[in-house]
Amino acid sequence: MATDKSSRFDNVDWEAVTADSGRALSTNLLGTLLCVVPLIALLVYDFVALGQYEDTFAFVGIGYDVTQLDWLFALSLILFVFYALLPLYQNPRITRYYWREFKRNRPAVVSLAFLTFVFVVGLLGPIFISQPEIDLVTQYQPPIGMSVQNTYPVQCLGEVTSGASGQLCHGSLAHPLGTDSRGRDILVMLIYGMQVTVKIAFITSLIVITIGTAVGTVAAYSGGMIDEVLMRYVDVQQSFPTFIAYLLILYAYGGGLFLFIVLFGTFAWEGTARYVRSNALTKSEDEFMKSAELTGASTYHIITRHLIPNTASSIITILTLLVPGFILAEAQLAFLGLGDPTAPSWGQLLSTGRDALPYAPWITLMPGFLIFLTILAFNFLGDAVLDALNPEAQAESE
Amino acid sequence: MGLEWYIARRVAWAFVVTFIIISVTWGLLAASPNPQVSNAVRSAAMNGDDPAEAREIQKKRLGLDEPLTKRYVDYMVSVYTLNWGWSQTRSQPVTEAVMNGLYYTVQYSIPWTILVILISPLIGIYSAANQYSWKDHAATGFAFFGYAIPNFFFGIILLLIFGLQLGWIPITYNTDVGVFSLANARQLAIPIFVLVTGSIGGTMRVARNESAEFINADFVKTALAKGVSPFRIYARHIMRPTMVPLSTTVVGQLLALFTGASLLVEVVFSIPGLGRLLFRSILAQDTSIVLGTSLFFVFIATIGNLIQDLVYTVLDPRISFSDR
Amino acid sequence: MTTEPLLSVENLHTTFTTDAGTLTAVDGISFEIEEGETMCLVGESGSGKTVASESITRLVQSPPGEVQGTVEFRGRDIGEMDDTELREIRGGDVAHIFQNPQDALNHCYTVGWQIVEAVQSHEPNTGREAARERAVELLTEVGIANAAARLDDYPHEFSGGQKQRVMIAMALVTNPELLIADEPTTALDVTVQAQILKLLDRLQDEYGMGILFVTHDLGVVAQIADSVVVMYAGKVMERGSVLDIFEQPSHPYTRALIECLPGGERSIDGIPGTLPDPVDPPEGCRFAPRCEHAVPECRTDDHPEESPVSGDHLAACIYYKPGYDATVIHGPETDAQANATGGVTND
Repeated sequence: MATDKSSRFDNVDWEAVTADSGRALSTNLLGTLLCVVPLIALLVYDFVALGQYEDTFAFVGIGYDVTQLDWLFALSLILFVFYALLPLYQNPRITRYYWREFKRNRPAVVSLAFLTFVFVVGLLGPIFISQPEIDLVTQYQPPIGMSVQNTYPVQCLGEVTSGASGQLCHGSLAHPLGTDSRGRDILVMLIYGMQVTVKIAFITSLIVITIGTAVGTVAAYSGGMIDEVLMRYVDVQQSFPTFIAYLLILYAYGGGLFLFIVLFGTFAWEGTARYVRSNALTKSEDEFMKSAELTGASTYHIITRHLIPNTASSIITILTLLVPGFILAEAQLAFLGLGDPTAPSWGQLLSTGRDALPYAPWITLMPGFLIFLTILAFNFLGDAVLDALNPEAQAESE
Repeated sequence: MGLEWYIARRVAWAFVVTFIIISVTWGLLAASPNPQVSNAVRSAAMNGDDPAEAREIQKKRLGLDEPLTKRYVDYMVSVYTLNWGWSQTRSQPVTEAVMNGLYYTVQYSIPWTILVILISPLIGIYSAANQYSWKDHAATGFAFFGYAIPNFFFGIILLLIFGLQLGWIPITYNTDVGVFSLANARQLAIPIFVLVTGSIGGTMRVARNESAEFINADFVKTALAKGVSPFRIYARHIMRPTMVPLSTTVVGQLLALFTGASLLVEVVFSIPGLGRLLFRSILAQDTSIVLGTSLFFVFIATIGNLIQDLVYTVLDPRISFSDR
Repeated sequence: MTTEPLLSVENLHTTFTTDAGTLTAVDGISFEIEEGETMCLVGESGSGKTVASESITRLVQSPPGEVQGTVEFRGRDIGEMDDTELREIRGGDVAHIFQNPQDALNHCYTVGWQIVEAVQSHEPNTGREAARERAVELLTEVGIANAAARLDDYPHEFSGGQKQRVMIAMALVTNPELLIADEPTTALDVTVQAQILKLLDRLQDEYGMGILFVTHDLGVVAQIADSVVVMYAGKVMERGSVLDIFEQPSHPYTRALIECLPGGERSIDGIPGTLPDPVDPPEGCRFAPRCEHAVPECRTDDHPEESPVSGDHLAACIYYKPGYDATVIHGPETDAQANATGGVTND
């Protein structure tokens, strides 16, 4: 299943934006295979040899059970490295060009830096930082620079001063961003939340790109009945209010983070499919596609080397609009108490702080602002990518 | 093959879409374990009764023992005859519960919609007229802020500031006040503000980018050359073509928020509208209400999409109906 | 002819502020148009002729554009007018038609609506019905068949030539004294082009309008012009009556343009080189880099002033200054005349 996906995912091929030689592709494919094959082996081992609740890495003495989500996440990371990062390195000239265009938009550069930070910390943070511990004694510690009436924390770890309205507990270095109602460190929880966010972003993107480009190209190249049926289906899916759909499915089947993320992805690819299809239809009229056909290129080759590179920029723009929507949807569901209580997401943290809002607002505000900043960063980034890849819209970035 | 034929076809398609969606919804729920049956089984097991027997009894009571095809036909017939069943948790017909919720939802939805339709083209065109000036940047910043801040989070903050700290607005929603009373305006002001901020961002950006194109269009120069006043040029020659793409975005944005964020906003501000009804019935596992409210949202979405397409075709005289 | 010209433009400068610097599109041109006269402003694209024509009634967007110099219409300075007066003169005394009829009409409104708007902008007291009647009259006059029925059609239901007719009808709403036509036939088929030119000619006689006709097409100039101003890179190169220009083209640029006409010596090659950068024009004569007769002074002195060739026939070329031999350019007098008259029809 994984290899099948990868062969379709390599469609989103940044490297091919340059329409380079076939040799570069093989490096990417080779790297992908080298990483995916052990992954599959491990997956098979986990399913066949181990029981449901046995830790996957027990054989090397690590007590961690890889979840379904982790498998997908690992796959999406592998593909991201070999088909997004590596091509940028392989084509320094194009990369430099994009960077020059992109650099002119200062908010976007800041946004990219912020998102990279979230990505790196979210990916590595949970490996080095242990899970936040529940300790009711240290509950409601305020962040540094804030204070709370000393009646709320059981024990104040910071400085205690007496103010007009009684004794005040101040924040301390032990918990720089304070603690929640169960004494968990907010900073650590935010870092764990970053990982959830990164997983949402990567896995949904993988699903959207895979299904969207597949349906779009199939519809465009088959035409006739298949095209009609697929596009009508896209119509129907588009008229289904997504959030209501999430609620219905969660109601019927209950839901963990895995289901959420798969749901988000499978209910959001219609824009991509439509775009890829219309692009394929116009592009097949274009001269260079004709010349590709004249030289006897296979349809597969035309799709991977000509069509996909030409749609890549727009797909990225679509993703920068979709991904913040998913992050928001997860936060909304978590806030409603319908989220995955075991997933340490920002939305989950935000909702736990709601009751304590009048006296411990930081529990809600910290994750809330982080969600706000992340969505904002995606918006600026999307704007900039659109400008950088689309010379006609250049004036926008001024 | 004129406008009428196009509208007829489009309406027919809307019916097909709702039909498919309702069928899918039914299939989804039919394939899942019914919470009421599971509850009955669980309580039977706890009381020492025979769980299998309890399951059969409960199934019979809910009509789940019938063959699938019959259940499907019954269900579809009752959906289209507006016979949406009985809510056990609320002890009232589902249609009545939905109507009750709608009463409160409409109270903020209508001002919200009107404000968005009025304000977003104005800010957008103003922004385009002052392109790249500080006014434009301010408007863009506002748009991005409204777009990026989660509505429910924004609502919480505003409730904290204006409700708890300043005491300007009531913290709990009062259903006893009259619809057109000042008290109602006060308690709905912040929810409406939150929703308007959320939906204006996207539409205002579209208005800005589209009208920026038209400001430099030849026909604007023609209008200027024939002595039309600048105000009229903006109000007529630029506004009108901008409305074409904008109409799509406005409806889309409003729909997305209506079937998503408005639920959260209702929960945050404890407005007993449709969204909160759906939310509560999910918690209470009241399947008939969950279905009823979801169906209502589906209908709204379908009608919205229909309106969006029709408005677009009516606004742009260049669209030829026979092509579509 | 009255002593006072219909329109007098003096030392017109139009600049645009851009990222790259200040772009000078029109660099100090002057001309006059008499009542009922057709004056052609000729130049290749990018020479500033369109900007010049739009600067007259201040249609140039400001900012980034800025118009300086004096434009007097019947002795009234347009630059001094306030917004209300400016609106009265736009589409009132001075009407415009533009190059591309495809985009010149608003696609969201019916043709009738747009003509009625033009009527009511200048005669606010005209009722809607009266304005519509006027629209039907005008559309009939410009040759739209079945005008009353077509009033409620949208622009996309008209062909390109018909749209240009509609534009002309709209321009005639207030019986203007001056019609500024900016390449009105460029976007049209050759046959339609001829029809529109004929129409303009008839309307000019009927309404007694002066016409400022902006074009790059010397063939059209030969057909309609009374007098001609040749522009290059924002400057006037040569001016004179249509006979002067075609029978004795005196500026090397004008000569090159004429040679570029179909059947001319350069009909295939065109003029070598490109227009100078309007942000940073070269020193000396603007045309010097592309001129085959250029002497060193052309590149070092200021851009030459207009010097008389004969009577009102002026050329901004160093060879017409005292001390230079103009025959270098156009050869012995008789030869030049024999060369140039071929193919030119003038009425």
